[in-house]
Amino acid sequence: MNLAFVGGTHRTVPLALRERLAFSTEQATEALRRFRERFPGREGVLLSTCNRVEFYTAGENDAVPPLPEQMVSFLAECRGIDAHVLRGVLSGESDGAAARHLFSVAAGLDSMVLGEPQIVAQVKQAWSLAQANQTAGPLTGEMFQAAFRTAKRVASETSIGRERLSIPSIAVADFARGVFERFDDKRVLLIGAGKMAAETLRYLREAGARDVVIVNRSAERAAALATQLGARTGRFESLAAELAAADLVVSTTGATTPIVTPELYSVVEADRGSRPLVVLDLAVPRDFDPRIGDRPGVWLYSIDDLASACAANRRSRQREIPAAMAIIEEETYRFMGDLHHRSTAPVIERLRAGWSETGETELDRLFRRLPALDESARAEIRQAFDRYAAKLLHSPLASLRKESRSGPPHGLLDALKRLFDLKD
Amino acid sequence: MIEFVSGISVVCFAASYLVALACEVSRLWFRSGLRGAAMVGFMAAGLLAHTLFLVWRGVNEPAVPLSSAFDWYLLAAWVLAGGSLWLTVSNPRTPVGLFMLPMVLGLIGGSQLSSRDPFPQSPATQIWGAIHGGFNLAASVAVAIGAISGLMWLIQAGRLARKQAPLQGFRMPSLEKLSHTCRRTLLTAAWTAAAGFVSGLVLNAVNRQRGLLDTVPWNDPVVLRMGGLVAWLVVAAVMSRAVRRRPDAARTRAVLSVVSLCVLMISILWGLFGATRHGVPPVDLPQPTARGALP
Repeated sequence: MNLAFVGGTHRTVPLALRERLAFSTEQATEALRRFRERFPGREGVLLSTCNRVEFYTAGENDAVPPLPEQMVSFLAECRGIDAHVLRGVLSGESDGAAARHLFSVAAGLDSMVLGEPQIVAQVKQAWSLAQANQTAGPLTGEMFQAAFRTAKRVASETSIGRERLSIPSIAVADFARGVFERFDDKRVLLIGAGKMAAETLRYLREAGARDVVIVNRSAERAAALATQLGARTGRFESLAAELAAADLVVSTTGATTPIVTPELYSVVEADRGSRPLVVLDLAVPRDFDPRIGDRPGVWLYSIDDLASACAANRRSRQREIPAAMAIIEEETYRFMGDLHHRSTAPVIERLRAGWSETGETELDRLFRRLPALDESARAEIRQAFDRYAAKLLHSPLASLRKESRSGPPHGLLDALKRLFDLKD
Repeated sequence: MIEFVSGISVVCFAASYLVALACEVSRLWFRSGLRGAAMVGFMAAGLLAHTLFLVWRGVNEPAVPLSSAFDWYLLAAWVLAGGSLWLTVSNPRTPVGLFMLPMVLGLIGGSQLSSRDPFPQSPATQIWGAIHGGFNLAASVAVAIGAISGLMWLIQAGRLARKQAPLQGFRMPSLEKLSHTCRRTLLTAAWTAAAGFVSGLVLNAVNRQRGLLDTVPWNDPVVLRMGGLVAWLVVAAVMSRAVRRRPDAARTRAVLSVVSLCVLMISILWGLFGATRHGVPPVDLPQPTARGALP
């Protein structure tokens, strides 16, 4: 065993315990320092996000990674939690399974929101922190680089992280942006002070919206929200005039009946000219009578319409899972093959050195017997010897590489050691 | 090099555009990081071959460069192919080629059905011929771009009305941008087509007055179809202006733009298969020998 991890995620660890287990950057730095002292010669990377805490460990040759029980106790000690409590919720994997898990995490397949792109940045931060604290090493280095490569492939070769999943982001990116080219010259009208209005406005601000007006039955609440969001307020009594001036409406009132009826909109329509109107009616019950959506130039979306698009995107992401898993399997196979092959390097090195030494001895003897040889002839003969050795080594090395793909090639390595009398 | 350029044929660039179109169509089924590069590569290669082909013809034609119906189609296709490449590079997520490349290929196909003989011209009327051809080319390109924008508008509006999220890799420009393009191209197409028609009348009048070449009669099919096209484009531009304050102005412009292309295509087909005196050398006049100079 060279690689291992121990940890828990939102699926296995209750929120209350996850909050206690989570590491801040300072706490993670301290934990890595302790790890270095407790397990010298081992490599360690601590990944702590709001949804997971995982400690990846590695060790080469005799310095095998700490046992899972040791790591659980170590984490419990670092966070001042009873180890018995953690034992029931943390789990671990080793070698190929550990690598596969990390690759899935980096690609967003193990995230609460499938395919979320933020996780790869968090994995990179964890890796940087381990490097800064000198707990990173060649094995974890290869594993994390392979994880970043896998995440990049999954992101570029599948569409698992492309479609949006939150209602406000879909409302703005997929619908409002379909109607308007730019938002800096548009007026946004917020009716009501619902929670989703603020989030939708955040996306609109990112898209460039500047002119935002908030109207609410309670002028105080409108003023408070306007201060919070950097907007201005309008009078609820002037709703028709505000609608006539608006290009995009986000409505989130708690009204029990529609506040904008077809009759009211008919009055507004005459003043709007040909300007299109996008209405994001995020209220339940709806604030806009659905018949208004049939009027020319009006693009009316209720929360159900947006939720349907949201669900379609979620299904689309789900459909990409097999393709993403295939990439992860391929990368795991490749990484483990390289890792196993790496373990053959000392034996190959000794074999090569032994042959080289024998070749040099024979060359010296040959050159002593043939003193008339000039430098160019000697160089030619030396090159011929090197080529001969390389060709003889090619087949055993190819066999070792092939064998490495399915696991550490212990049998072949033992055979080589015995056949060529290679000492450890 | 000369041997290489002279070996370029219409098939070379048409095939490049066709492969680029196939790449564009494949967006609908699967994602690939290489597809965008391949598509731009084939489009650029096709455009380069297209350019070299036109330059070669321009240099080696005995008459005024690029003055045949064949050249006119290829020039219009070249302008659209260039626009398609530019829009594809600047808006990689928008399937511009899906709409523009069929039009490019259609124009190349039209060139194969049209005459390669240069339009007869005398030195005195060359300038009017160039103005006439230039305005007609500009009008055709404006109609094509307007129709593409109109079609995109209708597809995008249909998607938004059905409340569907955009397809992966198939993101259309906004309705605002498309409507703006439709409005401008309707106006541009109307005045350039009108200018092309009027310059044609002037050209005809000069020929008749000076007795240089055969004149085209008023009831010639080309005169009638061009007159009909100009009339439609002017009506479309006026309608576009008239509905500007109505809520359905954008949809009206999109429909007008698409219909304008249909009218243009009918006009072109009529021209391809109808008998005309337009662009036909007079029987008793000798053929041009060099660079538009008639002996």
